[in-house]
Amino acid sequence: MTKVFQIALGILAAIGGFVDIGDLVFNVEAGATLGYQLLWVIVVGVVGIIVYSEMCGRVAAVSKRPVFDAIRERLGFGVGFGALVASQIVNLMTLAAEVGGVALALELLSGLSYRVLIVLGVSALGVVIWVTPFEWIERIFGYGGLALLVFVVAAIKLHPDWGEVARGFVPHGTSSDKLVYAYFAVGLLGAAMTPYEVYFYSSGVVEEGWTAKDLGLNRANAIIGYSLGGTLSLALMIGAAALYQPLGVEPAFIGTVALGAQVPLGTIGLLLALVGILFAVGGAAIDTCFSGAYNMAQFFGWEWGKQRRPAGAPRFTLAWIVLLVLALLVIMTGVDPVLVTEYAVIFSVVALPLTYIPILLVANDRAYMGRYVNGRVANVFGFVYLVVILLVSITAIPLMIVTHQGQG
Amino acid sequence: MSAEETLDLGLGLLDHQLVDREGRRCGNVDDLELEGFRDGEPRVAAILVGPPVWRGRGWLGRLAALITPGGTVRVPWAEVEKIDAAVHLRRTARELRLGRGDDRARKWVQWIPGS
Repeated sequence: MTKVFQIALGILAAIGGFVDIGDLVFNVEAGATLGYQLLWVIVVGVVGIIVYSEMCGRVAAVSKRPVFDAIRERLGFGVGFGALVASQIVNLMTLAAEVGGVALALELLSGLSYRVLIVLGVSALGVVIWVTPFEWIERIFGYGGLALLVFVVAAIKLHPDWGEVARGFVPHGTSSDKLVYAYFAVGLLGAAMTPYEVYFYSSGVVEEGWTAKDLGLNRANAIIGYSLGGTLSLALMIGAAALYQPLGVEPAFIGTVALGAQVPLGTIGLLLALVGILFAVGGAAIDTCFSGAYNMAQFFGWEWGKQRRPAGAPRFTLAWIVLLVLALLVIMTGVDPVLVTEYAVIFSVVALPLTYIPILLVANDRAYMGRYVNGRVANVFGFVYLVVILLVSITAIPLMIVTHQGQG
Repeated sequence: MSAEETLDLGLGLLDHQLVDREGRRCGNVDDLELEGFRDGEPRVAAILVGPPVWRGRGWLGRLAALITPGGTVRVPWAEVEKIDAAVHLRRTARELRLGRGDDRARKWVQWIPGS
């Protein structure tokens, strides 16, 4: 049975991590704007996150170092501190966006006021984190997020042009604005390969005390978990392309995402979509919140871990509480969560190399990894993706500016 | 550690996690104090921990030191028991005056039920 529960770690990281507010926003916007053309980018992103999260999990299991330990050991204090500041800014933006997403989903479910629900949502998240054991958090949000599978049914029911869908998996020349195409491609990669996923995942591996014996499970988690997440992303984009592109609708609200399930499936579709969004985004909020606390604690050498009592890791505990409060304050200003999401994803793309370069270095270091160093396959993929990451990291902000965030 | 084993101080020691006798994480190796250059046998005299030490770690280190309160703790090399994924110390964090930030922060956390 423990095996089954452990795979839930992967499912949580997949749903709560892969499908988060960034994926909801970018997949649906890209589908509505460009149809099926960018389906192939989702595949590229999914393979990328599989490659790097497998690597991070392996490094954590074998060398007992989560990502930010590796970052500081490899990049030194100065560059490491820069990486910490950058990742904390991105984490806070992402957390604020997820919190906004939780409030929006609750608003659509309950009809209460958005601001009241922000406070209620954040309080609920805080209480859940405080009272719930690590493995239960995984299960609650992991299984709740599975309601998002309704989007797979919805995408099929919307009768997309399957020939066009198939063509979307092959990169091809486009008649639309090339810069808008590139902007969404970068955003989709960023949404798929968000760094907080690997911070959270690798710290979880250390918390759970995995060893080299668990490497099979690590690989299964990465491949099964993220592929499942990727299927949901594909469904979101296909559904949006089938529903919104012909109408020229630009989805600027979370409600529009849920509509993608309501149109073909009625009220039950809408409910499942909202519940799925609530759990996926809520789970992602917790992952992000913890990631921020993990990063700080690991960089500065504090005691950390959800499995210690809160008083056993006090600065770690204060760190996640402060992050949650800051996210609450950011989103209470009334800033649009969808806009915050877009900025969070694009800025995370910029900071991506600072996370992935040290991981690739450590994964190749025999002093850390012994016989579990990267094999040829992991290295070929690792280096190819490093080039991809560097490319999108350099182009992300210019593309965001010239395309006015994809609006052409 | 055996005499034949070599340790790259830059990659294998600096910036690594410190763990006390009870398994508590209590800081990182922020810098090293070396001695014996004159007699031709340089060796590590102590591990240095704490924000003031970051000043020696580049301009971002100076910036970080500027905004972070706290003093320097010197851990004599003799206190090091072994080095694996972390640097393990022979005594408790409290005895070595390490991890005091966590001790101070505990007051803010432990009044909450369930902590």
